[in-house]
Amino acid sequence: MAKAPPITNRVRELREAHGGMSQAALAEAIGVTRQTVIAIEQGRYSPSLESAFRISRVFGVGVEDAFGWEG
Amino acid sequence: MTFREKSAWVMAVLMIVTGLVYGWLVMTLSAALGQTAPPLAAAVPYVLLVVVGSVVLQTVLSLLTPKEAQAPADEREQAVMDRAGSWAGLVTGAGVVCALGWFLVQEDGRMLFHMVLGALIVGQVATHLFEIVLFRRGSH
Repeated sequence: MAKAPPITNRVRELREAHGGMSQAALAEAIGVTRQTVIAIEQGRYSPSLESAFRISRVFGVGVEDAFGWEG
Repeated sequence: MTFREKSAWVMAVLMIVTGLVYGWLVMTLSAALGQTAPPLAAAVPYVLLVVVGSVVLQTVLSLLTPKEAQAPADEREQAVMDRAGSWAGLVTGAGVVCALGWFLVQEDGRMLFHMVLGALIVGQVATHLFEIVLFRRGSH
């Protein structure tokens, strides 16, 4: 199993706080597949800076509110 | 499962099956002709099989999931495909080096051709298998 990247995120939490937005809807909004959103939420994939900004904009928060650095 | 992962599964199966058919064809013709390697024309049925098989399978897959098929690869998929292609390139290269080594010893041009084609087939299989592993692992 690959080592998880040291980037943490609150995407699932933000999605649920955002009226229970579905993974598919978020994926559509930022232009990736649902599987990529799942991988991001599970910490198995670190999104590009562009996608991180897109995710943050969807939820109306700053990038630092959606993503963090472990440790 | 994304369209590209499905596509990788389909192409991996196609390349493995047709690759085995090609190997069997080369060995059968070699034995029948009493030569170490059959004429290069033995590759023609294989190439036709791969081209027709790829077109049919990709068309069916696209018809089943038209929206996904039209969408470009996203950043994670692109990264997975890039990495899989890079790793598979090493596999292909190793196969070609083996083929060249064989040619240095045996000086059999026909066998060189079949071995290089075999290396390309194994490289393609490796590409799709690496893609499947990386898609399933979820990271890159």
